[in-house]
Amino acid sequence: MRLENVWLRYHRRGPWVLRGIDVRIGPGEVAIVLGRNGVGKSTLLQVAAGVLRPGQGRVSDRPERVGWVPERFPADQPFTVTRYLTGMARVAGLGRAAADEAVASWTDRLGLSAFRSVRLPELSKGTAQKVGLAQAMLRPPGLLVLDEPWEGLDAATRELVPELIAEVLAADGSVLVSDHRGETVRLPAARRWLVADGSLSEETSSTDETIAVVEVAVPAARVAGTVARLRAEGHQVLRVRSDASTDAVAEPAAGEAR
Amino acid sequence: MSALVRMRLTGFLRTGRAVAPLLAGLITLGTLYGGGRAQPAEAYGVSAVVLFPVLAWQTKILLDVEPDVQRRLAQVTVGVARERLAGLLAAGVAALVTVAVALLFPWLVGGVSGPVDPGDRSIPVGLALGVWAHLLVVPAAVALGALASRASVGGAGFGVAVLALGGVGAVVLGLSGSVAPWLAPPIMAAARTTGGDAAALTLLGLSVWALAWSAAVVGGYLWRRRAQG
Repeated sequence: MRLENVWLRYHRRGPWVLRGIDVRIGPGEVAIVLGRNGVGKSTLLQVAAGVLRPGQGRVSDRPERVGWVPERFPADQPFTVTRYLTGMARVAGLGRAAADEAVASWTDRLGLSAFRSVRLPELSKGTAQKVGLAQAMLRPPGLLVLDEPWEGLDAATRELVPELIAEVLAADGSVLVSDHRGETVRLPAARRWLVADGSLSEETSSTDETIAVVEVAVPAARVAGTVARLRAEGHQVLRVRSDASTDAVAEPAAGEAR
Repeated sequence: MSALVRMRLTGFLRTGRAVAPLLAGLITLGTLYGGGRAQPAEAYGVSAVVLFPVLAWQTKILLDVEPDVQRRLAQVTVGVARERLAGLLAAGVAALVTVAVALLFPWLVGGVSGPVDPGDRSIPVGLALGVWAHLLVVPAAVALGALASRASVGGAGFGVAVLALGGVGAVVLGLSGSVAPWLAPPIMAAARTTGGDAAALTLLGLSVWALAWSAAVVGGYLWRRRAQG
């Protein structure tokens, strides 16, 4: 898929949010879209997904099947989880049996089984986000567009996102993902697109080293010493959390990393 | 695309917001038929006129019930053209159900009578003209409601203004002696026709007029959707 000289603004006399974006992503490739808040990351993703139409330029060779996970899932709908996902599977072109099978499979995989009969507005933010993830995967997408997919997810599902991405890539699909939580470190082979002032540039690694994430459990009393030692050895400490099942309670200051 | 039409209709019915326009329609029809009995063609002609704003409002509600992001998800899944068409079709189906209720209503409350004088139309002919008058209103009302929807005009205030302007304009511009009758759908002309001389050529002309007006307004709706992104 290629974005060719894409310009976009939301209002006729408004400022250009995207200015002459020209970028290509091929089958089996994943790109992380980076940038400060409000620079146009979501806009770029929506143009790629086909939600927004460029004011100038064009998007070519977009795969036929696109899965889009919006930043905020629209939970204000009068459906249960099962009914919504079944409806979306049918909308995506699956037959009744295939839709039921896909919904059962993805609700199991994403830990939504207990919520199948729950109405969407009653879901927590994280659970609703899982429904958003499920609807994008019901029919294997040729292009998967994830806008802050880790937002609100529990630890187990956060681990699952790179798996889903890997599956799309393995099927020769392409993936675009934005993230401001530092979770994309889980995608060491990803290209890195930096959006600033409406333009896009690609960050190139100074070395050819790929990066892996190793999670280490240490007694709480030895956290400070371990973190200091790892940093002294040149490792990047991404975060410190209280135990294996809870969210981060402390994050290293930006200046301390690596 | 039929799956998306079904999903939108289900969403519309399950939110309960379908009740408001249906109730408004029934109250209006109750008032209309409460004044005494009339022959079918004449009664249905007026019924079609009063249903026009109700059906347009119903269409706006149906399209507005779906969250913006969900509408975009549907667009990503089925494509731009089919997403737009599915919304119009869902609104059309809902309008046809309301029309069916409106056609049945006077028979339930004893609001219609058979021919009285020798020159009066038979009940089947009156019924056929009534169905025609109501079907004439459906595409025009769906088009106006779509144009007034949030996806088209953005803010809620603009949508209400478009609905009010369209509803009032259809009546005012449709009066006999109007300077610009072509700016409105021919719902008033249809009511006059069902109550008077209903020549086949007149019916055909009004049908073409209604479809052309609806097509122009749907064109405006699609243009607005394109501009809104």
